[in-house]
Order: sequence, then structure tokens, then C-alpha cells
Amino acid sequence: MQSSRRKFLLGAGAAAAVASVAGYKETLGAVVKQSNKGELAQDSIYFNSPNAEFSFLNDKFVPDENFKVCATTCIGCTTQCGVRVKIDKKTDKVLRVLGNPYNLLSTDPWLPYNTSIKESYKLLSQNGKFETYRSNVCARGNVIFDKADAENRVLKPLKRVGKRGENRWKEIDIDQLIDEIVEGGNLFGEGNVKGLKDVRDTKTPINPKEPIFGPKSNGLSLIATTHEGRFKTVVHRFLKSFGTSNFVGHTSICGLSMRAGEAAYLGNFKKYPHLKPDFENTEYLLSIGTPPGQAGNPFKRQGKLLARARSEKNIDYTIVSPMQGNSDTIAVGGRSHWIPIIPGTDLAFVMGVLRVIINNKLYNEKYLSIPSVKGMKALKDASWTNSTHLIIQDKEGFGKILKDGKTPLVLDAVDNTLKSSNDVIQAVLDFKGSVEYKGKTYSVQTAFHELSTNVNELTLEDYSRECGVSVEKMQEVAKEFTSHGRKASVDCHGGTMHSTGFYTTYAVMMLGAMVGNLNYKGGMSPGGGAYKDFVGKRYNLFGYKGKSKVKHTRIDKTRMAYEKTNEFKEKKAKGINPYPAKDTWYPFTNALESEIITNSAKGYPYKLDVLLTFNSNFMYGTAGGENHIKELISDPKKSIPLFIAVDPFINESSKYADYIIPDSVLYETWGVVHAWAGFQTKVNTLRFPVVKPRQATFKNGEPIEMISFIIALGKKLGLPGFGEKAIKGQDGKWYPFNKPEDFYLRAFENIAMDAKPVPDASDEDIKLSGIEEYVPSLKKICGDNWRKTAYVMARGGRYQDIEHSYQGEFLSHRYKKPIQIYNETVAMSKNSMTGKRRSGTVKYYKQRVVGGETFEKLYPKEQFPLVAFAYKSNVLATPNTSSHIMKEIKYTTYVDINPKTAEKFGLKNGDYVKVSSHDGNTEGYLRFRHGVHPDTIGVEQGDGRRAEGAVDIEINGKVTKGKISRRTGVYYNKIGLKDPSRKIALVTDFVCGSNVRHAIPVKIEKA
Amino acid sequence: MEEKNSRRDFLKKGLSTTAFAMLATSQANAFSMKNPGRDAKNPKYIGQVGKHFVMVLDLRKCIGCQACTSVCKVENEVPDDQFRTFVTETEIGEFPDVRKAFLPQLCNHCENPACVPVCPTGATFKREDGIVVVDNTVCWGCGYCINACPYDKRYFNKRTKTADKCNFCAQRVDKGLLPGCVETCIGGARVFGDINDKNSDVYKLLSNFSTTVLKEAEGTKPQVFYINLDSKVEELFSTTQSLDDIVKAEEGFQREWMKTREEAQSNG
Repeated sequence: MQSSRRKFLLGAGAAAAVASVAGYKETLGAVVKQSNKGELAQDSIYFNSPNAEFSFLNDKFVPDENFKVCATTCIGCTTQCGVRVKIDKKTDKVLRVLGNPYNLLSTDPWLPYNTSIKESYKLLSQNGKFETYRSNVCARGNVIFDKADAENRVLKPLKRVGKRGENRWKEIDIDQLIDEIVEGGNLFGEGNVKGLKDVRDTKTPINPKEPIFGPKSNGLSLIATTHEGRFKTVVHRFLKSFGTSNFVGHTSICGLSMRAGEAAYLGNFKKYPHLKPDFENTEYLLSIGTPPGQAGNPFKRQGKLLARARSEKNIDYTIVSPMQGNSDTIAVGGRSHWIPIIPGTDLAFVMGVLRVIINNKLYNEKYLSIPSVKGMKALKDASWTNSTHLIIQDKEGFGKILKDGKTPLVLDAVDNTLKSSNDVIQAVLDFKGSVEYKGKTYSVQTAFHELSTNVNELTLEDYSRECGVSVEKMQEVAKEFTSHGRKASVDCHGGTMHSTGFYTTYAVMMLGAMVGNLNYKGGMSPGGGAYKDFVGKRYNLFGYKGKSKVKHTRIDKTRMAYEKTNEFKEKKAKGINPYPAKDTWYPFTNALESEIITNSAKGYPYKLDVLLTFNSNFMYGTAGGENHIKELISDPKKSIPLFIAVDPFINESSKYADYIIPDSVLYETWGVVHAWAGFQTKVNTLRFPVVKPRQATFKNGEPIEMISFIIALGKKLGLPGFGEKAIKGQDGKWYPFNKPEDFYLRAFENIAMDAKPVPDASDEDIKLSGIEEYVPSLKKICGDNWRKTAYVMARGGRYQDIEHSYQGEFLSHRYKKPIQIYNETVAMSKNSMTGKRRSGTVKYYKQRVVGGETFEKLYPKEQFPLVAFAYKSNVLATPNTSSHIMKEIKYTTYVDINPKTAEKFGLKNGDYVKVSSHDGNTEGYLRFRHGVHPDTIGVEQGDGRRAEGAVDIEINGKVTKGKISRRTGVYYNKIGLKDPSRKIALVTDFVCGSNVRHAIPVKIEKA
Repeated sequence: MEEKNSRRDFLKKGLSTTAFAMLATSQANAFSMKNPGRDAKNPKYIGQVGKHFVMVLDLRKCIGCQACTSVCKVENEVPDDQFRTFVTETEIGEFPDVRKAFLPQLCNHCENPACVPVCPTGATFKREDGIVVVDNTVCWGCGYCINACPYDKRYFNKRTKTADKCNFCAQRVDKGLLPGCVETCIGGARVFGDINDKNSDVYKLLSNFSTTVLKEAEGTKPQVFYINLDSKVEELFSTTQSLDDIVKAEEGFQREWMKTREEAQSNG
């Protein structure tokens, strides 16, 4: 590389800072040639800009008939914002994406739901109320629609030729493909492959020794992506019809530690709710590793509310993170603070802050002393906790909450006597001692006492030493956080994807309990919920005859305790120590994508026959995937005998598939989604194809995509719930399920009819929202309700009006269950490898593997002096790599390093470096960044692709060359670690099993 | 990079001053240069008479998300690797006393545009509503305007082979809509409107906040105003280099991109 680059000492990349310099060069060339005329622009002044979709001159509204504008959902990332797309009717191409002003993920305040479509356009024009209702799209949403026409898109069904992973394919007729996967046989000349027909045995146990593991039909597993509006449909309509319990989304490689930690705090491992700050009204935000505007979900909404809060309202915010993110700007002066921290030590920081709060009694004692709903109501509070509940310390019943039946007992603060919590308004908060109940003496302590004991296990100096943040800083944050009443909030998300992320999240949330911020304006919100969609007023879309209701042991060993297996029981009966189990079990985790391939390879709990993936990229997305899962998946004998991928692009995972089914992309798809969190009112955002899917069709004309594929496959297998009389109406009638619209238009109808049904759409609404082509289907499927369903479609969903956000100082949509200062479920569970109980409340742990060995010991600092972390990109997102324009906005990613650290290692800005962990390495260009903690290196996620157009693909003998622009950048997850305390496993959060991508000890050198 | 940089220096300090000197005498002519579209009173050449469009960039609200950079590419079909607007992302200070700084940049639609008087053909001019535009049917592609712009906000459009730049999305503004970057700005940092209208948001912002323009000393009187622009950021904006360009060159990306484009063109 040229030596001149040493001159450029700069942190973050400016996408286009020097683009104009290149322009000069070409200018000079052109001047010299003079004769070199360019192509004629479409317009003398407007150049090649397409015409505007409407005209509003002199208040006269004139739509341009060349375009249609449709409301739909962007699924370019997991936020799933409501947008409107401008489509050229002639070419059927999307030209532009605009925010949907009815949708709160794109707009705040958003339009009253009964605003007409015409009015909605007018309000966003020059003479409307633009500054109020400005509705927007992020950097990726604005451009990624071009991926629909990417040269590497899969348009026809493919079957591999050659070995797995060679990326050599032949096109195959969809009916033949379905025949082959159903019947099985010697499909690849590599021996017999079991077809789906034979896998679907719902009677014979998959493991005769463990009947609880369920039947052989569990040999099929689905790995999907995020809940993008079709996942639940596939689970309920296909997998539960097939008879398998095996389906996972992507949470275990996304933000599972956060989700599990919050589920523990909120006491709900069924629904896995999570909280987000009320960004706009909070006075103090303490964000651990999740700077709004850089990361987190909802991306746009958080960024927007933060921008407003810091310039028009009253927020002060502190981001605790290894890297200074985009939530900071010098333009807001002293309102924004950054506390640099070493990745994976955030738990120490939070425990330190908790210690200061507890030992100095900075907490809201009155709030924490509320023992029940009754107490909450009496004190007119918005939430309550179990901090006063008594935990049994005797050997018998150790860890259980002392209860009368189902009702916890507490010590009434008034008279210090033991009573049912339902009869007490204020209970004793900090207590350890014995109580008598029904003639029996119990040694107990309150949940708060246990918390207090745990946070005092280490001194402030210890915590400070662990995380590198000074004691004074912790004291300062504790004081600030507790000085805003209920208007102090906390946040964390993907930054907790390290081995102690579960307890880190639990501790972060615990800060909120100290001030009682749950359900308060300016505090923490569980989200505003949604209208009923799949199971609603008109139809139960998930109900059909023959649906499997039995829950069996899942391939990922989640939702079940080891103690329920015969393996445990037999060892116990024989008098031998049942621990360790053959491998880990996760009783309160919902799903673990990152354990499926490895578990099947181990045959524990059992071996899979068929893997079906749906837009999933477990290989690229899993830290350690490329190094450690690849060898298992590339040999059909090792883990997955038959691998079928539904994917519009061949990614790092689907390139190992035996068959690829094409899928619709973005605005070609059907779906219904909810917002995740960070909003206060009901939201359902929906999608229906607004451009024609580009890929091949079935013989009936339906484009081949996930839903039409399961319909065809279900029919071929003769599964219940497909064809005529397959959808259950609440009127007792049965309706057909032959096409995706049979399902989705009915889901839209459910949404329209929920609560107080929506008004009828006018002809003008229908025309101006570009849904005229759906009218015949709407009339056929929704009958009398067709205009109501059209009303929802015209607006891209259904949204509760903004005035329902708050009730005084409370949120309107409140979380009802008590906060778990102590979570009994967690406390009563054991680590199946060590036999040790888990702590029922927050506790400090160093980074560790499941067996308990710490990273410090396994990966000594002398050998691995730095700690690596990945950070979320505000532009890149993995499913969009095939967008040509996205790569123009952000060309590449770097190994970000503090210049002082680089100097120590003799490295310079722009050097090509190798970053190695104990089990893997990656390469990339080094970028100096002052806003990075000196003990770390950081990598922006989403680049360094090894598929999806980055490598050559051969189809029917024709090769499409891989592109540098897709390959460029750092493939961060290659440094993922193996867990030495387990057989064939990657390092996980030691409690909930999520894949560990942060806090990886590494070394760095010139490549 | 060395070469590019020195060329840039030459252009900045050498050629552009020469060009100015050369054309200084004809400056008055340049302003009154004839343009067929303008002479014919074509509305897109005249603009919305009586209005004066400006943009206010409230930097307190900018989160450096590049949504504006993105939308501009598609709204204006800007050629590959060229930009009408973008946001530089920089750091001020050193660890641990470091701050983020974002600077959204676009054509400043100056009251005294340096680009207009140097245009030998009358292709570039300021409309009556303040928007500085380029008529690509009249432009020769001589590049004087590109050199004259003190803000580097003009580029040589690879496809039309003419000067090109931000025109506040005149194709939308002329229809009563707003510039794409304003429509899509997540933080609400970009505010656009008619400063002659006392009820407009831009008027209110300019009345209530002290604002800064870039390179005030140039005397160009930019009509893009910044709220809370730190002087350190202003100094950085024109000197910032991005590693991306070095990496692109080293990886051979530019060549690949050009090849892709050629292939796309030959395939129609």
C-alpha cells in the first residue's frame, strides 16, 4: 500500500469525502477530449431524477399515473418499519422508498389512523404539516430494493451438483424437487437419503430410551431468520402439521442474552417480553452497549426520539460501551456522555453502580416495599416487585419462595408479622432470619437481602478493577441515575452477547427496579402490543384438524430440564452422580439456532434427518460458525443428511444446501409483523406483494416462495391443514388454504375487525394506495369485510392513535406481572454440566465457559492482549449484501483500533492485519479510531462476505463471478471460540446458551 | 493517493485561482448569459417566483445515519461513486476526551455563487427562488464551475458528462414536495423551506438560533445554515480523507465497478 496513507489520521469513514476529487480527474480528461459527449439526461434541469409521484401546486393534488405508491413493510433489518414505495407501473420496479406516516416506526407523531390517504400525502407536502409528520427511511431502507434484481439472485429451484459447498448447481423443476425431497433415494450418488415421507413417522420414538424426546418426525428441523411475518405461519401450518417440535428463529445469534435476562427480570419465560426506555420523555438514560442511533431496535425510532429529546426536551444520557457510537455528537455539548469499557465487563460496572445505590440507600424504598398488586394499587403505583418475598434458606426447599399455596408470604412492615402478601401494602424489605409459619420454623431472607448480599460480594475497587471504570464514575452514575424519580431509564441489547450476558442484562434491568421506572412515562416500557392478527375475531388461522399439540424435546435442548431425562433418572437410580450430563440443557431458553448443527452431529439428544432453512444464515451469523460448523455441515454424514434451503440468495449457509428453493424478496413478500419494543401503542405492520416476484412459479402461477412452497409440500405429503376446508373460521365454517393470499388476506381481515372494526376504505383510498389489483381477491376472500380489510392494506397496517400512549404519568400499555428481584425458576435450575444451582438474582461472574473455567485462565492476556467486540452497523445488514447501492454508501468495514494501542503493536492506520483468537482468525484493514477503548478492537458487523455474490457460483455450467465489493471488509465471526468444556460446541452464554460474539480475547499482527 | 492529493492541491490553489483571474473580467456577462430555457420563462428554469428556498441543518439532531446520502442516490439517479450530498463522520479530540461530529454537506445554493460567473455557457445559474441549477443541455462539461466551488459540491456526472450537483430536488420542490434528503432525515436535522414566509420552519429556526455557514470568508453567502456547528468540525470538513478510497484502490474495486457498469450498459 502507498506510504502516503500514514498521513490520514482519522476515525470514522466518510462515505464520500473524496468522491469529488475523483471527479476533478475525470473533468480534466473530458475537457481535453471535448468531443466526448455523454448520454442525454432525461431532463435538462432535473437530470435523470424520476418525476415526482404527485403534484401539489396551488393546493391542487394531481397524482402521476405512471406510478403507484403502496404502503408496506421494509424487512431490510429486524426493525421492520412501515414504508411506502413508489413503483414505476411500466417496469414494475421500485424507484423510491418513503416513510409511512401512519406507522410509528417511521414517524412520530404519526397520523391519526382515520386520515384519508390523500390527506396523508398532502400533509407531507410543502404546504402541509411536514415538520410534524416527517416520515423517513434509513440509509439501507432507501436503497436496498435494488437487490431484487441482483445478478446473483436465485430465480429457479436448484439442486447441487458435486459436493456440498462447491457452489455448483443445476436448475430443477419445482415439482421434481418436491418429489425428490419427499421420496428420498440416492439423490446425489452418495448413497441413500431419507425422504420427508419416511421422516414423518409420528409414532415411533426417535430414541427408544427417551420417550420424552418424541417421535421420529422430530428428525426435521427448521432454522429461520427473524420473525419477518412468515415464520409463525411456517411453524403452525407446516411444522406442527408435520409433527416436529424443532423450529428456531435467529435470536440466539442476535440478542438472546438480553431477551433471556429481561425475561428473568419480568418473570415470563413463555413470552420473553423485553423493555425499552421511553426515549422521548426520559430525563436520564443509561445505555449499556446500545447507543441509540447506532444500534438497538427500533433503529430509526430510537434515533429520532433521542435527537428530539436532546435538542427540544430534557435528556441527559450516558453510553457505557467499548466504542463511542453515533448517539454522541459534539453539537449537543454536555448532554451526551461516554464511559469507555472493556467488552464483557459491563456486569462489573453495573454491579458497582448497584452496590453504590443499595449501600447508600439511594433506591426508592417505598416502591421496593410493595409486595403485591394490592399494595401497588393502594399506593397508586404502576408496577411492583417481589423484593420483599421470602426465600427459604433451609436445606429443604432451599431457594423456593415461602408461599401459602400460590401466594407469597411477607413480613408486614407495620407490625413485623408474617402475612399473605395480598393483605400487605408495605412489607419489610431487607430481612434475614427465621419466621414461623403453620407451626414450622423457616430460615429465610428477602429477595432484596439476597440481591444486597450478592452486590456486596465484591468491593467497588474490585468491580472497578474488572471493568476499568473508576469508582468515582460509578458513584457519579449511581447518584445521577437515582436523581430523576421514575424518569430514569436503562437499555442494553446485542452488546450483552457475551458469556455472562444473561446476568449482565438482569443487572442492568435491576437498576430500573431501584428507582421503580417500569410502566412510567420517561421510564421503561414493555411496548404497546398489537391488534389480534393470526388468531382473531374472524379466523383462527393457526387452528386446523390434525395439528400436533404435543411438545417434545427439541433438538436444541431448550425448554427442558436435564433432570427430566431418563439419562438423569437412571444415573440417579444407580446412585451415581448424574452430573455432568452428556451436554448442556436449557430449561428456560426458548430456542438456540447455534446449537442445532452441533447437536445433530453429536446425536444428542438425537440426530436430524432433514434441515430446512428459511432465509437463515447461521454460518455467517454465528461466531465460530465458519470455522467449526462448516466441517459438520459440509459432510452429509456428519450432521445433516438432507439440507433444503429456502433463500433468494445463496449465502454462507445455503451454499451447503442440497436444494435451494427461490424466495420472494422484500416488497414481493407477504407478512404481518409487530413492533418489538420502544413504543407505547398497538402496531401491526403488514406486507403483500406490491411488485411482481421475479422468480419462477408453480404450475398454478403462484410464485415459488416460502409459503407457496409449504403449501405444495404439505399437499404432496398429505399433511393436515392444506387444501379445501383447512382454515378455521370463528363462524364455525371452514375455508380453503391453497394460496398465500388465502391465509394473509384473512389475517389482514382479523386485524381490521379486532376491537372496534376499522372504517371502510373509500375508492379514493384504494386507488391512491395502489391496491386496486387486490380488490377481486378481497371481495372473494373477505366478503362483506373487504373494504375494511382494504382500509388496513391502504395504510400498511393498523396503528393505535398516539393519544393512547400515556395515562397521566403512567404508560397506557403496562406490564402486569411483578418484577423478579429474585427469579425462582432460575434459582431452582441447575447447570447440567456442573450440577450447580444458578443464582436466582444478579451476581458477578467473569467471562467463562459453561464448565466454569474463566477466559482469563483459558486465554491468558500475555497471549491474547486485546478483547474483540462487534458493533452494529447503521448502514449494513447481512440480508442486503446483494444491494449494489448499499455498498456505495458503505463500501467496507475495518478493524477499529485506538491509535495508542496500534502504536504499541507497531501498527499504522490502513495496515492489513490479522486478528486471532484461540480458535480462529480474520483479516482486514486497520482503522484508527480515538473513540475505541485502548484494550480492545472493534469490527462493524455485516461485511467480509464469503457468499451472496462474493464468490463464484456455477449454475447449469455457467459461472457468475464473485465480486470484490461483497468480499471486502472484515468477517468478524471467524474469531468465534469453541467451548473446551463441552464436546463439539461453541462458547455460549453460560446460563441461556446464546452464541458469544463479544469479549473474545485476541491478538493482532500485520498480515 | 499522493498523486490525487497533489492534483487536488493544484486545483485548489493553482487552477481555480487562475480560472478566476481569467474570467474575472467577464463576470458581469456570465450573470446575464443567455439561456434558452430561462429566456422562454420555463418554470423549472425560473423557479417559484416570490419564494427563497434555504436549508437549515440542526446538527443537534443529526445522528450521522447517512439516510440522506442514500436517498439522494436513488432519488436523483446519481451515478456510481458520485454524490450530491453526504455526511462526514469525524472525531474531535483524543481518547478518552473524544467526541463524535457529523457534517451533512450539499450544494450551498449561495447568494453569490462562485460557480455561476465562471460558467462560459450560461448552463449554471440561480433561479429566482434561490436554487442554483445546471442545464445539462447547455453545459459543455468544461469543469470551471467544479473548480470554482469552494465547497467541492459539484461533480462531473459520469453519464451525462456535464457538471452536476444538488438542486434541492427541484423535480420534487417544483411539484410542491420536498427534497429527498429532508423527507428521509431520521433525526429531523434537515429543514427546508421558503425564508420569505414568516410562518415557515426555516424562518423560525433562523430567527431563534444563531447559525453558521461554511467558509463564510469566501463571500459566497451560502443559503445552507448550520445550527451548533463547532469550528473544529468546519476546519475538518474539507481535509478529511476516507480510508475507503485507499482500500478500494488496493482491492481493485474501482476496476471491477467500472467493468460491471460497462457490462450493464452493453446488456442494455
